[in-house]
Amino acid sequence: MKRNTSSHLATLAIMTTLGLVLAFVSLWFGVRPLPTSTVWQALVAFDPSNTEHMIVHELRLPRAMAALIGGGALGMAGALMQSLSRNPLADPGLLGVNGGAALGVVISIWVLGATAQSQLVFPALAGAGLAATLVLLLGGAVRPRGPDPTRLILAGAAVGALFLALTWAILILSRESLDTYRFWVLGGFTGITKSDLVALLPLFAVSLPMGLAAAFLLAPLILGDDTARALGVRVGFVRVFSTVAIVALCGLTVSMAGPIAFIGLVVPHLVRPLLGADLRLVAIGSFLTGAALAVLADILGRLILPGQEIEAGATMALIGGPSLILLVRFRREVAL
Amino acid sequence: MTMLTLRSPVFSFRLPLRRVVVNALLAALAALLIVAGLFGGSYPVSFADFMAVLNGTTDAVTEMVVLDYRLPRILTALGVGLAFGLAGEMIQTLLRNPLASPDIIGFTAGAGTGALFTVAILGTTAFVVPGAMFGGLGAALIVIGLSWRRGIAPGQIVLIGIGITLTLGVIGDLLMTRLDATSAYELMKWLVGSLHSRSYADVQIIWLGLLILAPVAFWHQFILARASLDEPVALGLGIALNRSRMVTLGLAVGLVAVAVSAAGPLPFVAFVSGPIAHGLNRASRPTLLSAALVGAIITLFADMVSQTALSGMSLPAGVFTALIGAPVLIWVLIIQSRKNRL
Repeated sequence: MKRNTSSHLATLAIMTTLGLVLAFVSLWFGVRPLPTSTVWQALVAFDPSNTEHMIVHELRLPRAMAALIGGGALGMAGALMQSLSRNPLADPGLLGVNGGAALGVVISIWVLGATAQSQLVFPALAGAGLAATLVLLLGGAVRPRGPDPTRLILAGAAVGALFLALTWAILILSRESLDTYRFWVLGGFTGITKSDLVALLPLFAVSLPMGLAAAFLLAPLILGDDTARALGVRVGFVRVFSTVAIVALCGLTVSMAGPIAFIGLVVPHLVRPLLGADLRLVAIGSFLTGAALAVLADILGRLILPGQEIEAGATMALIGGPSLILLVRFRREVAL
Repeated sequence: MTMLTLRSPVFSFRLPLRRVVVNALLAALAALLIVAGLFGGSYPVSFADFMAVLNGTTDAVTEMVVLDYRLPRILTALGVGLAFGLAGEMIQTLLRNPLASPDIIGFTAGAGTGALFTVAILGTTAFVVPGAMFGGLGAALIVIGLSWRRGIAPGQIVLIGIGITLTLGVIGDLLMTRLDATSAYELMKWLVGSLHSRSYADVQIIWLGLLILAPVAFWHQFILARASLDEPVALGLGIALNRSRMVTLGLAVGLVAVAVSAAGPLPFVAFVSGPIAHGLNRASRPTLLSAALVGAIITLFADMVSQTALSGMSLPAGVFTALIGAPVLIWVLIIQSRKNRL
């Protein structure tokens, strides 16, 4: 047991280092390639009059931080979601927040004429919040026993589809919204500025600890509802709290960066073989691995096509789709 | 369950009464929508006018409205709805998952990406339908091929379908950002699915497809009902599981292909028809006839709404199939959870 704990701590430390190193590497890349020494100087001895230092501080650092936080939030939400629904294939995107965020985005373009990424953050957050509330109500979160996982997923699918239909209607009514939406929907950390990040950080500072708390609360439920209840767990409350945490994490991320697929679905599967079945460890590990993976996708998106950037969300899906298929092909036990 | 027994000197036949009533009511509702679509609208046509058109003794305008505009549109809507309903119910029964739909086997995503490819590479919207067919069939073949494991493995199809659908979806999204604004807008309309200005070519495609595939589907449903039991049980009943699965998938892909080429991928019709039919019949799956009728009703109704209520906005029918389908699904959810069956 003792040996296990220390090896798990070592694994978590390696994941953290990997994420931070990748984040540092991501500061080199961009329209103007910067040498390592300049990046380092900008971090340790910041000089506001130096343009290159300003690029690092105002654009690349917020972008790398956003990728770390967003990817981490999605990874953690994925681990929670798969445990809550007892379905290894559940993706936090199933809870309908992406559809809600998309509707918020197109309405703000259509009605308010918003075009810049930073103008889309709060409408997306409002839409995601509305969708999440609907999903929680329809999913049975107000019942004494708490939400039923299957019903929650169905409610998420239905609400997500409803919001997507409304989004399509607006996209067809106004060409301007399609022009902005088709870039937003790829998902990525490109347009994130320092002020966006500063505005969203307090919200993440609340929801990430909530996610961690949810992991600790959900962990005993692996024994089954009845056993957990006998141990003194308030099953209904735990389910509601966990769902709220998942929805908050995903809603914040989609508002910040647009929809990013696969991190929530795949990361917990990468983490479990390394850290075992304990949800508390898996949630922390998924946060760290999700963060590293999002930064990696952000870097690769800048390298795949020379002279062009592919958004991190799209890169993630281009890598994630085939790897999911490989996972399914070469591991017998994965099934729905 | 009350059963209805039909007797003749040669054979007798037992049918659940509820199923007969439900199907009759659904058929009546579909017929009502067809009549409303033909005679109502911005240019009302009376029954006498309609008969006159059929006899060829009427003015050119009425003849044009009925024969060139309304009839092909309604026939396409009816056929496409039936096809999506059938395909959805078959796939959901086969995969034993109410969240599955023909989308899961990659056809819709492949069709969308194929359509986008033709526009992005050839620079014209003339070859959208062939491109979509090529992409859709290709994607379905890839999904089925990759999930092949000494036979078709339903559990594998769902997972591999998700992988392929997401990948193709993103490729489609990326292509969408590389198009100019006008082509992107035109394609967006096609991707949602429209019944606007359908021609007899569309009617031919969908009804020829239905004529060939629907009888096979109805014949096959008896085998499908057994093939969707637990695998050992189905094998014990002597079902050739793999053949049945191949037939089901082939039929579903074929039906979706003709429907998409006639009207685009009207979202949600295939997805909700099955659960609604299932809920109304309170019977075990498959309930093919009810699902097909529900699909037809949703499509006809969506088409009607798209041309009457908000005609000034000219929204395609696909927007309304989704707007109708989603609340219906929510309603089904609430009903089922009240009975604690979910």
